[in-house]
Amino acid sequence: MTASLRVVDAAPRAGAAAPLIRLSGVALDLGDRRIINGLDLDLGRGEFVCVVGPSGCGKTTLLRLLSGLVQPSAGSILRDGRPIDGPAQDVAIVFQDYGRALLPWRSVAGNVSLALEAARVPRAERASRIAPLLAQVGLGNHADKYPAELSGGMQQRLQIARCLAQRPAVLLMDEPFGALDAMTRQSLQDDLLALVRRHGTTVLFITHDLEEAIYLGDRVVALRANPGTGASSLAQDIAIGLPHPRDQLSTREHPEFLRLRRFLFDFIQEPRP
Amino acid sequence: MNTPLPVSLLSARRLGDAAGGLLVLLVIVGAWAWATAAGWVSPIFLPSPGATWDALLQGLAEGELASASLATVERMLYGWLLASALGLVLGTLIGVSPALRAWTQPTLEFVRPLPASAVMPVAIALLGLSPGMVLAVIAFGAIWPVLLSTVHGFASVDPRLHEVARVLGLSRSAFIAKIALPHTLPDVLTGMRLSLTISLVLAIVGEMLASQTGLGSAILMAARSFRAPELYAGVVLLGAIGLLSNSLLALAERLARTHH
Amino acid sequence: MIRAIGPRLRGLLLPLLALAAAEAAMRASGAQSDAFARPTEILRAMWTAAQDGSLAAASAQTLGNALLGLAAGGGIGLVLGLWFGASSRAGRWSALTVNLLRPLPSVALVPIAMLAFGFGYRMESAVVAFTCVWPMLMFAQDGVARVEPRLVEVARVLGLGGIRRAWKIVLPAALPRIFVGLRLSLGIALTIAVTTEIIANPMGLGYGLAMAQQSLNPALMLALVIWIGVLGWAANAGLLWLQARLFARRGVRA
Repeated sequence: MTASLRVVDAAPRAGAAAPLIRLSGVALDLGDRRIINGLDLDLGRGEFVCVVGPSGCGKTTLLRLLSGLVQPSAGSILRDGRPIDGPAQDVAIVFQDYGRALLPWRSVAGNVSLALEAARVPRAERASRIAPLLAQVGLGNHADKYPAELSGGMQQRLQIARCLAQRPAVLLMDEPFGALDAMTRQSLQDDLLALVRRHGTTVLFITHDLEEAIYLGDRVVALRANPGTGASSLAQDIAIGLPHPRDQLSTREHPEFLRLRRFLFDFIQEPRP
Repeated sequence: MNTPLPVSLLSARRLGDAAGGLLVLLVIVGAWAWATAAGWVSPIFLPSPGATWDALLQGLAEGELASASLATVERMLYGWLLASALGLVLGTLIGVSPALRAWTQPTLEFVRPLPASAVMPVAIALLGLSPGMVLAVIAFGAIWPVLLSTVHGFASVDPRLHEVARVLGLSRSAFIAKIALPHTLPDVLTGMRLSLTISLVLAIVGEMLASQTGLGSAILMAARSFRAPELYAGVVLLGAIGLLSNSLLALAERLARTHH
Repeated sequence: MIRAIGPRLRGLLLPLLALAAAEAAMRASGAQSDAFARPTEILRAMWTAAQDGSLAAASAQTLGNALLGLAAGGGIGLVLGLWFGASSRAGRWSALTVNLLRPLPSVALVPIAMLAFGFGYRMESAVVAFTCVWPMLMFAQDGVARVEPRLVEVARVLGLGGIRRAWKIVLPAALPRIFVGLRLSLGIALTIAVTTEIIANPMGLGYGLAMAQQSLNPALMLALVIWIGVLGWAANAGLLWLQARLFARRGVRA
């Protein structure tokens, strides 16, 4: 029995501009278990899309599909009309477990440099690109420190800096602020918004924090697992009609914010059909 | 990438691995045979696999290799059992007392890495060239892994369990028997496995130095009389003894760890 | 008063007291022995050997053979271990052969080495080399196998392939474990070198030790035993210090 699709405030599908990435009927199997089933999703250029859903419903798997780290078992993922067959140079992932995604033997600058080395940026040019990146994430004074000497928030910012060094067209983020304290989380949210708006980056942002999803996103997409098969698919796709730039105080008190918040909370609590 | 494979695929892979493993082994033995047949290496230094096999069968059948193997195994086992018992007892005595641990730690840390074979000349000076001397050296050399892992095991008992014991009113010996020793058992077994390896090595060294009956002296004599096939046959047997003893103890260790 | 002495000093007190007691007892009884000597005599024997250069010469021979064997065997073990760690199939297929060869006691190879090389540095380093293949192989393989999978994914996302990934990510990540293997292998190399010298090879500290025993010189014999222990301890401590310095800033996780 499939979940009924309650389409409310649905985001327009493929409006005037063609989507950057289009998922059609995407499914993924792990062994004999189908994790994701029949997923249709468009990511527009420069869009900030937040993905929410209960734990274990395939959000991280969706990210890995988009990154090209994993291929779908069925359906297609097209970028600019061409299938994604592997990780692309301009697609960056910010992993949730940031500690494990950093090189402990390289300094802060060295970690950012890794992305430049991978892109074969000549050595002479690297230093001039690393410094502004570190400044953008607020690590300008810590270039010679090592990851083990940084706090959690700083480590996550370092990972973001390394991802930005790829000059990504698409930024995939897996609950990047989940392990951080509230204050750090809020400042990073605003920093992130400023950065991606400046560069026009397309973002897919996974979070279990519904308010964070509404605050950051242009759209919020909810995944839900089918109670019978356990496979996840799209259950909700909502456009966020909140003004930019977002502000931690005023946006969160905006009546539209509260309405969306109520709606999403109710949706998540809803008993399964 | 990290997709778990369905069961049918797994057993096919396991079969493939077994075949592959066998293939690698056969290639190496084949290379050995080729090297001797092609004359790259003189048969004085490297007998062919066939010659080694013949010498092995003959040695076992006519009894010399068999009795030598038995002697070595006996020596190894006696020394190992002695070392394990002493190591366990001493380790327990030191382990239960944090004070004793502090007193003895540096001494233990210094003596542990000392090559036991370096102690053998001292033992010869003390006890002469006798089976007892070899046994003593084996015990001295093999005691350390058991002793140290016992001490470590006792030291690593969760402080919470100490408190539980006190609240329950367990006596010292009851604590040792019911909590400390069971907790330490897997580490002790690991230590005993290492001790067995050391025992075998020291048994061989002892036989070579003190001319005691056994595989050690047998292969040394074979080398001195340039009887390469017999030398290699003896080495193969020693390898087999090492393999068997290690595997049996590794199995015991794994069983002990199932509930830890 | 005992409590006033720090815990570390307390541990050193035991051997010092034991030595002092032995010294006193032997002076008092005036007995002669082939196996024991007074601590002061031992020290004097060590001093004499150091002065006339024999201690240095023998140490150089033993260390030289050990290091030569470690470089050769450890090098082979390192390369194999890296390969088996990186290629899961290579690791699985080689397991049978490795598990058959590894438990072979290396001292059993001394007669073979004697046969092939006679006496001298080649025979000893050959035995050391065979022994050192296995620990280096295991630690290198383990080091590579334990590389944080997230880092491998980062490499893939950044577009680092094959050799570049191995050099920039896998090798540095596996280095701490490899270093531990190196440290243990050095201890093993020294032990095997000394053992080979005691059994068969007429050079180095082990040979000196056996000779001292045979010429009924307990002071020199015990001095050499202690010296061998000191060398082993110093080698291990030195590499531990190096390990701490090399990997200090990596953090505990390394």
